[in-house]
Amino acid sequence: MARIAGVNIPTSKRVPIALTYITGIGNNVAETICEAVGIDRARRVNELSDAEVLAIREYIDANVTVEGDLRRATTMNIKRLMDLGCYRGLRHRKNLPVRGQRTHTNARTRKGPAKAIAGKKK
Amino acid sequence: MARSIWKGPFVDAYVLKKAEKSRDSGKSEVIKIWSRRSTILPQFVGLTFGVYNGQKHIPVAVTEEMIGQKFGEYSPTRTYYGHAADKKAKRK
Repeated sequence: MARIAGVNIPTSKRVPIALTYITGIGNNVAETICEAVGIDRARRVNELSDAEVLAIREYIDANVTVEGDLRRATTMNIKRLMDLGCYRGLRHRKNLPVRGQRTHTNARTRKGPAKAIAGKKK
Repeated sequence: MARSIWKGPFVDAYVLKKAEKSRDSGKSEVIKIWSRRSTILPQFVGLTFGVYNGQKHIPVAVTEEMIGQKFGEYSPTRTYYGHAADKKAKRK
């Protein structure tokens, strides 16, 4: 059992892959971490010594924003836009696409499931 | 794609001139501008601009956080009152 950055317990997978289970760490960052700490990419999490796990944990604490902190930062950024009253903020408020996509059709990710309109069928 | 840094921020010349004028006069009045494409510069902070949205000038009080964005972002061009069906659904 390896506990890195709070709640995440990825084990029996290769180290770079296991690290991507942490929010805020993707393939690229995971590889960088392995390189910085000096862990072979082919090794698995359950083969790591306590010292190595600690080294990873310390590296992440010092250099990467992950999990709760990252989520908080993201929501803060969105909230900032909404408070500003700029176009991007307005789009966030209305739960519509922010980056100029069409909304005539599609945009279901932001709008949620389609709502039936009464009397639309001929 | 982002704008090249060597070009500097884009601002229509007349916006700069008007801003400077109102700065010097010291009065707090709405500066009417049509240039929605102009970047908001640090020296605009504290001034109020009336940004044209195609119909009228929307007053925008520039704050520090707005620097680097465009004036047009603060003056929506579309009005959406919702669909008739939405209203009916809400009333229920």
